[in-house]
Amino acid sequence: MSIPRTWAVTLRIVRQFRRDPRTLILLFAVPAVVILLVGYLLRSSSGGIRLGFVDETGGTAAPALQALGQTLSEAGVTPRYLSRPQAEKEVKDGDLDGAIVIAPAAQGTGVSVLLEGSNAQRSKAILRIARQVPLALSAASMPPPAESDLSVTYYHGGPDFETIDSQAPPLVGFYAFFFVFLLTTVSFLRERTVGTLERLMVTPITRAELVLGYVAGFGIFAVLQAIVILLVTIVVLQVEYTGSLAVVLLLVVTVTVAAANLGIFLSTFARTELQAVQFIPIVIVPQGLLSSVIWPIDTLPRWLQGVAHLLPLTYSNEALRNVMIRGQGLLDAGVAVNFLVLVGFAAIFVVIASATLRRQVA
Amino acid sequence: MANVEPAVVIEGLGKRFGRIEALRDVSFAVEPGQTYGLLGPGGCGKTTLIRLLLGALRPSAGRALVLGRPVPSPVTAGTVGYMPQLPALYLELTARENVSFFASLYGVHSRQAVEETLALVELAGRADSTVSTFSGGMKQRASLACALVHRPRLLLLDEPTVGVDPRLRATFWAYFHRLNGEGVTIILSSHVMDEADRCHRLILLRDGRLLAEGAPAELRSRAGTSTLEEAFLAFAGDGT
Repeated sequence: MSIPRTWAVTLRIVRQFRRDPRTLILLFAVPAVVILLVGYLLRSSSGGIRLGFVDETGGTAAPALQALGQTLSEAGVTPRYLSRPQAEKEVKDGDLDGAIVIAPAAQGTGVSVLLEGSNAQRSKAILRIARQVPLALSAASMPPPAESDLSVTYYHGGPDFETIDSQAPPLVGFYAFFFVFLLTTVSFLRERTVGTLERLMVTPITRAELVLGYVAGFGIFAVLQAIVILLVTIVVLQVEYTGSLAVVLLLVVTVTVAAANLGIFLSTFARTELQAVQFIPIVIVPQGLLSSVIWPIDTLPRWLQGVAHLLPLTYSNEALRNVMIRGQGLLDAGVAVNFLVLVGFAAIFVVIASATLRRQVA
Repeated sequence: MANVEPAVVIEGLGKRFGRIEALRDVSFAVEPGQTYGLLGPGGCGKTTLIRLLLGALRPSAGRALVLGRPVPSPVTAGTVGYMPQLPALYLELTARENVSFFASLYGVHSRQAVEETLALVELAGRADSTVSTFSGGMKQRASLACALVHRPRLLLLDEPTVGVDPRLRATFWAYFHRLNGEGVTIILSSHVMDEADRCHRLILLRDGRLLAEGAPAELRSRAGTSTLEEAFLAFAGDGT
């Protein structure tokens, strides 16, 4: 393995990109614009939370609730007081985003939350308010709830309901896969048709060096792209993530290895660039639809769930969500298992890509 | 000459592509420090022969030895230079970037080697222009530079002078002969008969078969003709 030869290929790809501003824009601006659009579309409905208070304590909690209501009004949320059946009906119908129910319990006071649930931003905001209730109760010298956990009822969606928080992590992997796959397929096709691949293959460069040079060249751009996507979601959309950036980038690099080698492999089956683009609906679109970028896999029909588990992005999405939302590390099962499956996919694609490069020598 | 090890030895070399026999039972030896011309009409097997010598194709029959080793060999890969028929270059890159890319693949990291080679093909003034802005002849020159930059012992050139103007063509030939003087062996293909006289020896090919091999003057006298074109027809044995 010669590092200078590998680096020569990497440097060449970087230079080719630098001369191609249109592709650079595609690479960085398109994911940023899409994630902003998704973010604003989901955010636009998050203002003006409609909250209900249900007081079943016979009035003893009223001072505490009023004090809390006062603070909330200043923040733009004015709770309405309802009876429990009415609150349940309104939350279910979507007339309220949620209701906080205060009721006498065996020990202390019970606090439960009813959530409409389809908008994770609002659900989270209401949960935050509900967590302030015990404090408000003790301030009004009411017995606080015995249990620290709130009893939460979702009428729609659920705690994992998809919005921008859970949409950004898979988009990081999706765009890395999409662009690296597309660009490798076209670049390699060009190498074949122009004849530079034959020229390369008669130099002392080995297949491994060539593939590694390609992976590194596109990997640099994939990592930069991932950083742009993360910056946009964290800085502009102000989504909070917990996990380690290093693990996110490691996952992006693994996705790049898989996508680049799948691209090299499939470029053998395309004669023109138009035919190369035809791989997008075959390789990219099903992964976009089935790998939980938009819909969670467990909501898919059973047979489609089976298909989803054959797609590399399913595993990268799951791992990226576990890192970015749940703050898991590389060694946690939710990341490690998915990462290993992803490495397996990458290994298979490396093998089939080198096999097609070997077949160049007829 | 007999005591010098040949640069290339070809023994009974044949290549089939499915039902098409591109090359059949071709044998000859190439002396080092000479320029050999592969001559024949399009489709006669010139490019196939060059690609077999490169190891880019595997022979269906026979064998080829390049610089004493059977091809493909990782050892000879670094000492052979190849210029394909179509200028295989990275169009988005400049001439200098193309040449230094191929130089790096051959383990040549000297800037001077790149600059000298660019000057040789008279591209020093356009070294920083992207190849996509080049004319056909300029691309051809850049392509030749990529094949030369690592100072190979054997040069395989597929139609090197297509699209090159007569003045520069003369420069090319002068350089080829200078390389010969340094011991470099050149095998080039051409379908232009008037270029053939500049080669030391010629290999006449037709329909994948070797018609004749020898110095241009020798071939003319053997055929009893005054031009190589006539000699070729005489060896081909019919009016085509």
